[in-house]
Amino acid sequence: MNITIDGKSCQCEKGEYILQIARRNGIIIPTLCHHDGFPGQGSCRLCIVEVNEGSGPKVVVSCVYPVSKECVVFTNSEKIRKQRGMILTLLQKRAPESEEIKAFCKMYGAPEIDRFVKVDNSKCILCGLCVKACTELSVGAISTINRGITKEIATPYHEPSSVCVGCGSCAYVCPTGAIAIEETDETRTIWGKTFHLVHCTSCGSVIGTEEELACAAQKAGHEPDTLCGPCRKKELAKAFRHTYGEIPAE
Amino acid sequence: MKTIRVCCGTGCLANGSRLVAEEFEKKLKELKADAQVECEVKRTGCNGFCENGPLVTIMPEEIAYYHVKPENVEEIIEKTILNGEPVEKLLYKNDQGQRVTSQSENPFYAPQKKIALRNIGKIAPCSVEDYKASGGYEALKKALAMTPEEIIAEINLSGLRGRGGAGFPTGRKWESAACYDVTPKYVACNGDEGDPGAFMDRSILEGDPHSVLEGMAICALAIGAEEGFLYIRDEYSLAVNNIKEAIRAAEAAGILGDDILGSGKKLKLQVVRGGGAFVCGESTALMASVEGRVGEPRAKYIRSVQKGLWEKPTVLNNVETLANVPYIILHGGANYASVGTEKSKGTKVFALVGKVKRTGLVEVPMGATLRHLIFDIGGGIQNDRPFKAVQTGGPSGGCIPDSMLDLPVDFDTLKEYGAMMGSGGMIVMDDRSCMVEVARYYVQFLCGESCGKCTPCREGLKQMLAILTDICEGKGKIEDLDLLEELGEMMQDASLCALGKSAPNPVLTTLKYFRNEYEAHILEHRCPAGVCTKLTSFAIDPEKCKGCTACAKACPAGAISGELKTPHHIDKTICISCGSCREACRFGAVMTEGRDA
Amino acid sequence: MQTEKEKITEILQSYPREQRYCLAIMQDMQKQYNYIPKEGMEELAEYLGCPLSSLYSMATFYKALSLKPKGKHIIKLCDGTACHIRGASNLRDGVKRILGIEDGETTEDGEFSLELVNCLGSCALAPVMVVDDVYYGKVTMERLASILNSYREEGESA
Repeated sequence: MNITIDGKSCQCEKGEYILQIARRNGIIIPTLCHHDGFPGQGSCRLCIVEVNEGSGPKVVVSCVYPVSKECVVFTNSEKIRKQRGMILTLLQKRAPESEEIKAFCKMYGAPEIDRFVKVDNSKCILCGLCVKACTELSVGAISTINRGITKEIATPYHEPSSVCVGCGSCAYVCPTGAIAIEETDETRTIWGKTFHLVHCTSCGSVIGTEEELACAAQKAGHEPDTLCGPCRKKELAKAFRHTYGEIPAE
Repeated sequence: MKTIRVCCGTGCLANGSRLVAEEFEKKLKELKADAQVECEVKRTGCNGFCENGPLVTIMPEEIAYYHVKPENVEEIIEKTILNGEPVEKLLYKNDQGQRVTSQSENPFYAPQKKIALRNIGKIAPCSVEDYKASGGYEALKKALAMTPEEIIAEINLSGLRGRGGAGFPTGRKWESAACYDVTPKYVACNGDEGDPGAFMDRSILEGDPHSVLEGMAICALAIGAEEGFLYIRDEYSLAVNNIKEAIRAAEAAGILGDDILGSGKKLKLQVVRGGGAFVCGESTALMASVEGRVGEPRAKYIRSVQKGLWEKPTVLNNVETLANVPYIILHGGANYASVGTEKSKGTKVFALVGKVKRTGLVEVPMGATLRHLIFDIGGGIQNDRPFKAVQTGGPSGGCIPDSMLDLPVDFDTLKEYGAMMGSGGMIVMDDRSCMVEVARYYVQFLCGESCGKCTPCREGLKQMLAILTDICEGKGKIEDLDLLEELGEMMQDASLCALGKSAPNPVLTTLKYFRNEYEAHILEHRCPAGVCTKLTSFAIDPEKCKGCTACAKACPAGAISGELKTPHHIDKTICISCGSCREACRFGAVMTEGRDA
Repeated sequence: MQTEKEKITEILQSYPREQRYCLAIMQDMQKQYNYIPKEGMEELAEYLGCPLSSLYSMATFYKALSLKPKGKHIIKLCDGTACHIRGASNLRDGVKRILGIEDGETTEDGEFSLELVNCLGSCALAPVMVVDDVYYGKVTMERLASILNSYREEGESA
């Protein structure tokens, strides 16, 4: 089937999300809480668009809105620009330190509203992506805590987590760089806990924390890695060469 | 055989009805030794007129007593049970000052039409026998002989719509779930009544739990479910107990469980105690909570009739909706549809509370006007003060001014005016209620109850609260009003769930209908209702003060001094502007003054 | 400590090892201890095989659950709309003056905790206060002190 996004006809399957279709067609819709690796959350609301399925336009969240019939989508109508701007302004009050949010505000013309109070002095916008990453990829060391306007993201009891493996997935997916991760040659500190880093036995580059490698090995059912990704590939290549011989030069 | 019905709903229990019931039992036991009297004491569910409790009704004479105390028991037995005479002083006094004997003569009950509340106050809540004696489980029998299509057709014909507030057609919901060829499917009952000021579901769960169970069983037959859940607020301890007890009784009687009335059909029902989160009244949040997770809603673009509990087709109905179902099956959809308006069929239960003379639960046909509810059934405003507004629909609803009192209350009309009927809470406010403070109250409520997942609701509410608090403290600016509107409109469109989308309603409706009060706070630093403490101070008019000392007794700060029978005086340096004195004064001697800026 | 652990185990084992029972289990612990001890949280995580973080998330999300010990008597002051417009905030100030505690706090002697709750569904009796599951309707400032005192004396005589 076909839908129209910002005047452009886009081919799609029933059940695909608008954001997915738009991106495939080179139409940019801003997002914060979205990561291609995870199912949509619909929490930051930045990706709102207007959809008209015949009964008049309505505002929906493109990252989780599945297309069910032919429709016309506007990603940048006046209404959307205004509401998106307001959402960004609110996020900027929540995370005044975040350079990313500042840039978004500028790009999408978010209004300066001095009347609003600053909520926090951090960079976190509570999008929940870190929790998703930790739960789905790692060990579930962090979660949202409390609710409503007092919601935050933390480890249980705000204490260093007993299960955290220091993999840093949370910091990696964070759209606003809100999760502090400190690294020296030998250690990594995250969520108040310090881990020893393991270096590649071949090239010496960091391959992860001890706990992270043990955790991954346990999941995969083999011994912890001692090589980094590139070196492992080299080793593999050697094994192939040994088995199949050198690729003859043309 | 006589029956003494003692109301044992939460309200009457708070007023001491348990002691009254025990006293009756004790006295009757003594009496049985030497007199010929056949009489039983029945502890019933909530009669809805809690303010006048404990309520006692003597059957078959239908003599209804109010404010009954254990010390009245002997006289009731003496006069009414043994001699069939009423005890005058315990009868209800109507607006004309006459004592009335039965409920049907009582102006609070007379205009009501009871369908959802049909059994409440009449039967012992958990007893299968009592429920059966009043026609209970007949509908289930009838439904067992019907095909699912026939059941759904009957519900469709009745025009029943969801009583939780959204008003989605119940038959259509069942139909959608029925058409998925997936097992298992689930039925669920939403008993997480969270709207402050609403307690109809509590009353039904406490007073007639079998009607809800029967409704669920019929729904299960219609959609092909064998398992169901009742999610009930943990605060409603009596309701939780009664429902559990009723499930046990129905299973023991072969009505629920592995073999429904010998049909070979199954239904296993379980109670889930709510965790104490208003947002769990939202269907997807409720389901997350039943599954044992944090009650955060998800986007509802895929409906729960397709993917609900554990991703399986699930029908979630509100308590009151389910209580209507057996009536519809038994008496026919057409019969039910003959009551109400074109698009809103049947009756609706309202919790009429606040500053109205007669408060309580009332069930009336859909389409009754607000005026009828507040002034006929409710008897008007307490102390005959002027009516200011009625707040309907809880934190999702709005405040309706007197110019709109003749609007019919149904699913659609109030929505056109920015309010909503919602689950049926109706809070009446007089001239001593500040509409800005009411808006601030709801926003504060929601700040704590929002799940905090999406930006518009979490951050929008936070900013709204800051602005409204400033206005209540006289620190608002006139531009704030436009900003509140702009913020509110964005929240309505862009929030994730119904909580966030409707969160701005109390603010937007008060801005629309009571803008002058906002302006008085901002421009004149004055709270016209005399509620906002930072803008109000109180003084006693020596001309009107009779020196009765009521104000001095009521004052929590000890700021009022004066001799008996001489005018009293408020020490403004101690006064905390709470207004207790004004409420206590029967002579209108307490004046409000704008506080000096 | 041993008996506490046994009690926790008993609560756990009265439910199947399924995620859907975790709210009920936490509610039972809450009822037992007036709060959920950390040991209970950890035992539950192990029992259900789920991360502690997801339980912690729930325990801080649901108002029926508490991670801090509560007082002997729990005062629930209704601040639903009907109670609010009939003076619940004055009662809150009253409790603060009499006991020196605000919403969510416990008196230093561990006797009372105050919880501001949203609606107890007894709006016709507004303003409503519940102490240890006993309902008090139409509470006035005058009655407030005597109700609270009755619990205090009960504590002293016991």
